[in-house]
Amino acid sequence: MRTYETIFIVHPDAVGEQYAGIIEKFKKVLEDQQANVLKVEEWGARKLAYPVKKQSRGSYVLVAYEAEPQVIAEFERRLRLDETIIKFMTVHLEKGLPAVKEEPASMPAEEATESEDEETEEA
Amino acid sequence: MADDRRPARPAAPRRRFMRRKGCRFCADSSLRIDYKETRTLRYFISERGKIVPRRISGNCAEHQRKVTEAIKLGRNIALLPFTSGHSLD
Repeated sequence: MRTYETIFIVHPDAVGEQYAGIIEKFKKVLEDQQANVLKVEEWGARKLAYPVKKQSRGSYVLVAYEAEPQVIAEFERRLRLDETIIKFMTVHLEKGLPAVKEEPASMPAEEATESEDEETEEA
Repeated sequence: MADDRRPARPAAPRRRFMRRKGCRFCADSSLRIDYKETRTLRYFISERGKIVPRRISGNCAEHQRKVTEAIKLGRNIALLPFTSGHSLD
């Protein structure tokens, strides 16, 4: 078993039940193939850095799981078939899932000091 | 950009990015390089979406390589821009 994470962008028009259904559907695709889903993160609607399929926004979903390499092919095939998925990417995590999960909490403070640095520099 | 540089002083330091002494990732081991952390990676991207070179970012070779790979992954999934010219008409 290898650890992978797949990040996919759901079409911004898919909201509410449809959106929840899509996530459930792909979770099931993984579980049906004996993949061990480690976490599902929904980042919500975000602005894309560049338009994808003529959309400038999209809902990001991150799924981390343990699976055999063959599972990826089927999972990606299913993602490709679904028209509400506008983009996806799978990354193999060689070191497994990072143990520390509480990173966003420490980020804002760091960010603040960083931007201060930049400001003083420009001035 | 090139126009506002004074020709009288060709040696004038042109620092568009803050010059850091040493590699910030070496200095602080709690900082991790991850393609999902766009806030950290944005710092290593110029206004036009280019990756900031090592001589300006101050990163060591190992961390610059990791930053570069993370930025390229982020670009593939639309977290980071390839260029500033992306626009939706």
